[in-house]
Amino acid sequence: MIDFVVHDEGDSVGVVVVEGVKAGDEIAGWIMDQDTEVQFVAASDIPIGHKLAIKPLKTGDTVIKYGVDIGKVVVDIGKGEHAHVQNIKTKRW
Amino acid sequence: MSQDLSNATFSGYRRENGRVGVRNHVIILPVDDLSNSACEAVANNITGVMALPHPYGRLQFGEDLDLHFRTLIGTGANPNVAAVVVIGIENGWTQKIVEGIAATGKPVTGFGIEQHGDHETIMKASKVAKEYTQWASELRREEAPLSELWVSTKCGESDTTSGCGSNPTVGNAFDKLYPQGSTLLFGETSEITGGEHLVAERCRNDEVRERFMFMFNRYQDMINRFKTSDLSESQPTKGNIEGGLTTIEEKALGNIQKIGKKCVVDGVLDKAEEPTGPGLWFMDSSSAAAEMVTLAAAAGYVVHFFPTGQGNIIGNPIIPVIKICANPRTVRTMGEHVDVDVSALLRKEMTPDGAGDALLDNMFRTANGRLTSAEALGHKEFVLTRLYESA
Repeated sequence: MIDFVVHDEGDSVGVVVVEGVKAGDEIAGWIMDQDTEVQFVAASDIPIGHKLAIKPLKTGDTVIKYGVDIGKVVVDIGKGEHAHVQNIKTKRW
Repeated sequence: MSQDLSNATFSGYRRENGRVGVRNHVIILPVDDLSNSACEAVANNITGVMALPHPYGRLQFGEDLDLHFRTLIGTGANPNVAAVVVIGIENGWTQKIVEGIAATGKPVTGFGIEQHGDHETIMKASKVAKEYTQWASELRREEAPLSELWVSTKCGESDTTSGCGSNPTVGNAFDKLYPQGSTLLFGETSEITGGEHLVAERCRNDEVRERFMFMFNRYQDMINRFKTSDLSESQPTKGNIEGGLTTIEEKALGNIQKIGKKCVVDGVLDKAEEPTGPGLWFMDSSSAAAEMVTLAAAAGYVVHFFPTGQGNIIGNPIIPVIKICANPRTVRTMGEHVDVDVSALLRKEMTPDGAGDALLDNMFRTANGRLTSAEALGHKEFVLTRLYESA
């Protein structure tokens, strides 16, 4: 059962691909490029399609997804926490 | 196992100019907003003809006017269209559009309403529309090589499943079509933001790269001139954000999956400009779905791959729009809009090649006549791109 996917092992975030992930749930991740699996605990409720941090992120850090820069952290995010517009912003506009 | 496409064919309508279409529409095309009513009346009188009403065509000038003509002429010229009746408020611009479409060799006639009025215009246009629809009804499909099928793509109401699943599915299909000599299209200029270096790397040579960067920077300049915030909720849209996409960079990386890993960007087109040869073309275009598909159809593309995450539901009046989706919630709650369900990709129950092949299979069936969900549901969004205000 795959609960979240990560494009590349160097990414800082993964994407939840099932409904109903709640804080405290043990979730299984599929790292697609390397075809490996990882397990850990969701630290927030995360809706389907939303991201979770797969390592702790500090304000000012660059968020990496698909192996590239997709934005900056504006509020600290703990491992397993919901990562979205409340704590990540674009660098471009 | 991937299908062998080297001798693949589809069944389509060969038009007078040699292009092959996959539909056989007779359209009643208004030049301007004043002519919508007469066009709709003709479509109401005659079976099998379709009006394409729109709100523009008055007091436009400069490049915005050029784009208006290019889009209307291109729509009439599209190989999916058998014949056209054009109606405008006056004869000059009406005939300009008629001449542009007539260059393809297909039947086209125009009517100006001034000095005649709606009643006489509707009567005369209906007589011509009747002739055209009966003539078109006798046209038959013939077999054509796969390379003659021009395919465009744009994603819409994307979410994170787009970048993980449905967009790479299009990329897989494009990687398989490209070596067959196909003519392909992608666009959505603002939605490359964050990944423009990745697209630039894929350009065939410096000339193509420079033209791509020119179009990209031109769009960025426009956004920077008018923006009042970081565009959050506009680009990415509220729907993108509800679906989990956070920044334009993230959306762009998902977007770019649609050009696969092997396709080279062979050329760059302005809005509604027709490509001059096979290969993958980038068109400077809006990321608003119906605008971009309207531009692709005006450039001569005959079938469209439309991956969606949250569920974009648009179609197009003249080209079939195939919806591909990897989000299991969308497929469950609004599956009537989905043509190719690739949500199994995210459960590892489908491979990327399997997903690409499923899309190609649907492409052949659609090209050969199967209605897409958008066609079956009556979605015919026809949206003209504007560059600035009318005078």
